[in-house]
Amino acid sequence: MVKPSRSYRVFQGVNGVVLTLVVLVTLYPFVNILARSFSGERQIRAGEVTLLPKGFNLTTYEIVFQDSMFWRNYGNTVLYTVVATAVAMVLTTCYAYVLSKKNLKGRGVLVGIAVFTMFFTGGLIPNYILVTSLGLKNSVWAIALPNAISVFNLLVMKAFFENLPAELEEAAQIDGLSTYGTLLRIVLPLSKAVMATMVLFYSVSFWNSWFSAFLYMDRTDLMPVTVYLRNLIQGATGGGNAGAGTEQLSQVGANIQSVTIVLTALPILCVYPFVQRYFVSGVMLGAVKG
Amino acid sequence: MSTSTTSAPPGTQDPPPARAAPRRGGRAAARTGWRRALRRDWQLYSLAILPLLFFLVFRYLPMIGNVIAFRRFEPGGSMFGEEWVGLRYVQMFLNDPTFWQVFRNTLWIGGLTLLFCFPIPIVLALLLNEVRRRSLKRFVQSVSYLPHFLSIVIVAGITMQMLAGDGPVNHALGLLGHEPIRFIQEPEWFRTLYVGSEIWQTAGWGTILYLAALTTIDEDLYEAARIDGANRWQQIWHVTLPGIRPTMMTLLILNVGTFMAVGFEKVLLLYNPLTYPTADVISTYVYRSGVESNSFSYAAAIGLFEAIIGLVLITSANQLSRRTVGTSLW
Amino acid sequence: MKNARQLSRRQILAAAGFVGLATLTGCGSGDEGGDGKDLSKKQDGAMKDYRAGQQFKAAKPLSFSVLHNNNPVYPMKNDWLFWKELTKRTGVTLKPVDVPLADYEKKRSVLIGAGDAPFLIPKTYHPSEVAFVSSGAVLPVSDYVELMPNFRDKVRKWKLEPELDSIRQSDGKYYLLPGLHEKAKAGYSLSFRTDVLDKHGLTLPTSWDEVYDVLKALKEEYPGKYPLTDRWSTNTPFPCGALFSYLGQAFGVRAGWSYDNISFDHKAQKYVFTGAQDAYRQMVEYLRKLVADKLMDPESFSQTDDQAVQKLLAEKSYAMSANPQVLVQEYRYNLEKQVEGATIEMVPVPLGPAGPVVLGGSRLENGVMVSSKALKSDSFVAMMQFVDWLWYSDEGQKLSRWGVEGVTYTRSAGQYRLKPGISLMGSDPDAPKDMQKDFGFYNGVFAYGGSWELVSSMFSPDEKRFQDAMAQRRQLPIDPAHPLQSFEQEQATLWDTPLKDTVIQNTLQFVLGKRPLSQWNAYLAELKAKNMQQLVDLHNKAYERFKKENG
Repeated sequence: MVKPSRSYRVFQGVNGVVLTLVVLVTLYPFVNILARSFSGERQIRAGEVTLLPKGFNLTTYEIVFQDSMFWRNYGNTVLYTVVATAVAMVLTTCYAYVLSKKNLKGRGVLVGIAVFTMFFTGGLIPNYILVTSLGLKNSVWAIALPNAISVFNLLVMKAFFENLPAELEEAAQIDGLSTYGTLLRIVLPLSKAVMATMVLFYSVSFWNSWFSAFLYMDRTDLMPVTVYLRNLIQGATGGGNAGAGTEQLSQVGANIQSVTIVLTALPILCVYPFVQRYFVSGVMLGAVKG
Repeated sequence: MSTSTTSAPPGTQDPPPARAAPRRGGRAAARTGWRRALRRDWQLYSLAILPLLFFLVFRYLPMIGNVIAFRRFEPGGSMFGEEWVGLRYVQMFLNDPTFWQVFRNTLWIGGLTLLFCFPIPIVLALLLNEVRRRSLKRFVQSVSYLPHFLSIVIVAGITMQMLAGDGPVNHALGLLGHEPIRFIQEPEWFRTLYVGSEIWQTAGWGTILYLAALTTIDEDLYEAARIDGANRWQQIWHVTLPGIRPTMMTLLILNVGTFMAVGFEKVLLLYNPLTYPTADVISTYVYRSGVESNSFSYAAAIGLFEAIIGLVLITSANQLSRRTVGTSLW
Repeated sequence: MKNARQLSRRQILAAAGFVGLATLTGCGSGDEGGDGKDLSKKQDGAMKDYRAGQQFKAAKPLSFSVLHNNNPVYPMKNDWLFWKELTKRTGVTLKPVDVPLADYEKKRSVLIGAGDAPFLIPKTYHPSEVAFVSSGAVLPVSDYVELMPNFRDKVRKWKLEPELDSIRQSDGKYYLLPGLHEKAKAGYSLSFRTDVLDKHGLTLPTSWDEVYDVLKALKEEYPGKYPLTDRWSTNTPFPCGALFSYLGQAFGVRAGWSYDNISFDHKAQKYVFTGAQDAYRQMVEYLRKLVADKLMDPESFSQTDDQAVQKLLAEKSYAMSANPQVLVQEYRYNLEKQVEGATIEMVPVPLGPAGPVVLGGSRLENGVMVSSKALKSDSFVAMMQFVDWLWYSDEGQKLSRWGVEGVTYTRSAGQYRLKPGISLMGSDPDAPKDMQKDFGFYNGVFAYGGSWELVSSMFSPDEKRFQDAMAQRRQLPIDPAHPLQSFEQEQATLWDTPLKDTVIQNTLQFVLGKRPLSQWNAYLAELKAKNMQQLVDLHNKAYERFKKENG
């Protein structure tokens, strides 16, 4: 192994400093939010909370947790995310694979069809009428189907597929595998990193989304937790027509935003390490060899 | 990934843009070309059926509603408008001097965002890639994408707190003997502020794609480079960067195409009348003028205008990329 | 009876003026009014002789769909006593379509746009109904108010015609049934730390000159601080929306939240441009003085509410805008915990050059739109009678505010009292039940407007004092009706925003000293360049037209 040059060692030092800075700058607000979510209203309003909770208080969590609607909506969020991500992955993978075939006749048109929709979209009302007349309202399909392909994700995935060595697929075809077989047995196993990334991208965006559900669901018990919490924030901090007033609500108003972030971000954060596993494989191999 | 050891270096070779059937050659030839393509690739085409159906039903069908850019639409009336008004709505905004001011602002903010927010994740990903300790690398990465999960309201709130008269930034300025600056009220600071908070929020998340791309680089290439006596810099330059180039170019082209889509909510939360001269963008202007509720037609006309610009931009970026680096979306 | 009804219909139609409609050629013909005029077939469940003050009871069980704005403070429950009592008294079951409070307007607009809206659409703030007028998606309710005796009774008794005129459209009709108030309810004013004032021998100011003196005195005591900091600056086109609004009122102009490019000059009997008025300039000069003398925090105009309140709680400032709710809940409640012996009071809006006045127009509240589809229903007449009873009769209003006598409240000698064990907006933190959450009363969807007696019965002591003082003020006359026609409206929208932006931006620049007041004339020239005069002319034309057509 070539000995690291001096400049490279200097670089490593600088790199360490830069990354530490990145960590500090990005971690601090999050820790602060976590601390606020457990802090008392007085301390929050006085701006005393920084890294650790002050005046430890669980009122807001209790209020949210005690509401059965919160749990039902949380369940909806999980269901919508899983179904919508599954549908999106299947459709996106199929199309991205087709688009990645540079020699396919009509490929330009197929890409064009997708890219065009990045810019030209239908308005709110036509979309609503479409979903209503297809009878999708008040079902998970109203969320999963209209958002099944994100063109951004599609093109990224296509770029990955294009980058795979062509010889492998040729070999597979010579071995008698059909197109479907090649996709399933050769291409997908080689694309774990991008598949994991796409699952992450889709699931995070479905997890955080609220507008489709808000639009296409008519009953509170069908809403995802994002709508529930959005409404709670509005009610507790926006004033509204009839004021709050109790000590409880004052506390809720003080840290409902922080609690919301903790409750919605944490579960999806836990997905990340699984995804991350697929990111290091290549590099890890190199490290072992090196 | 051991199977890939036999392959040629990816990214360094893009297959020549040869087509299965010659482009020209008469109608009959084209027809037989299609027939042959269908016979050969029918399995591939069959995979495209469902996605195409999706695009047709959920994307192209509602698009018909855009006809209201040229027809007078009344909320609650026909979804396709009441009567033809031709280019009335297009002329309305083309003749509005304020529209051109906010258009310029949009270009500025979008351009600066592209200039800074596109390369920074690449740099960050490369830096992360150089970290040897795996646990450390994972930690830094996990932390850096946290801001992505914060809502824009929170990000705007944090920005305002940082820049307040008694906030940390002005404290630091005070230590340097500088008078406090009311950043939020100064038009000349708005772009810096917007792009800065955008970087903070997106840089970490943006690295994910590049890190995924890095995994596809064949380790043997590094090995070969090392045998050739390449140092770390040369390895980054000759192996790593070419390895992630397709991802990079795809993202760059996409970003160029969508750079007019400046974050509406963030601008809305960070601007105020004093900073309108630099901060007001098309979407906020349209929102403030209540056009959304009063005239869907006007909003649709502006939407079409933006879409055409976006389409032109992405097509040009794609052409340029194909000519210069040989990578393109289509 | 039927004849009488049709006669009054004809009168109303004449008043509305079909002439106006005729000029509206091509602007939507979805109005079902034409074939819907004959109501004889839509009498299902209606009462034959329904009069003001009478209990409405449907002749047979009916149900109507209603858009329900779901407030998270009291999330909707199907077992609310409100629903049960309503059905018991009126024979009507409401079928709510549940929409979260956040983004209520958006969903409403999509539902109406897609033709999917329920019959009753409450919680609509004027002028958001205007967008749906020309397509005919919502009913011109003014055509049907003869079905609503309580509504007409209140309009007559409280002399609300000028207010109603202000929401008429260019066809002379109005499309919203607004909440009706006997007296205007003031909302916002300045609050001061009274303990600090006492300590330095200062008294609460009653005029804006005194406000200046008090702030000046505070500045001398605390030279390093800004005595006044303010809020309601984010998420609104006009920063310090509340302060400008009540300060402007004292100068007799619309500013802040009340700002409108156009206001009526009652002396000259014509519309003028608000931001170019002399009184507006005086208001700006006053505020400039506060900022120039460092009595008011310049960050007031851009900070978030949280930042502002934090300054108050951390004693960096001693005065701030308030309304009775935030005064109690955000300021006093937190100050008491934070600062030993702190007290804070809200003053009646200080007086200015315009004298003891309040701006007109605030006696109307948000209200109900009726979907045009409702007119096709056989029970249309019964529905209108029901709406009249629930939102406009004394009994209906009492029900939605106080609930059921003996169950949720008791009444003696004209005083309402909550039953023990029931809390209303934090009145009794230990109570096991909550008026809104557990019973569904005092729900913003159903409770608005009313007699001063009823409205004031729910005031807290602080609010009562404030409102009593404000109720003494003289109400300025309402701006006369000047509805624009649909195409004019489109043009006006495009002129309005750049003009408004210029006014607000320059107001702030003048106040903050970024632009010297000597440039006022240059500012006026900029307004002219942005079509100020054309906009004023457009509105004056509409005013003359309406006057001619509707007397």
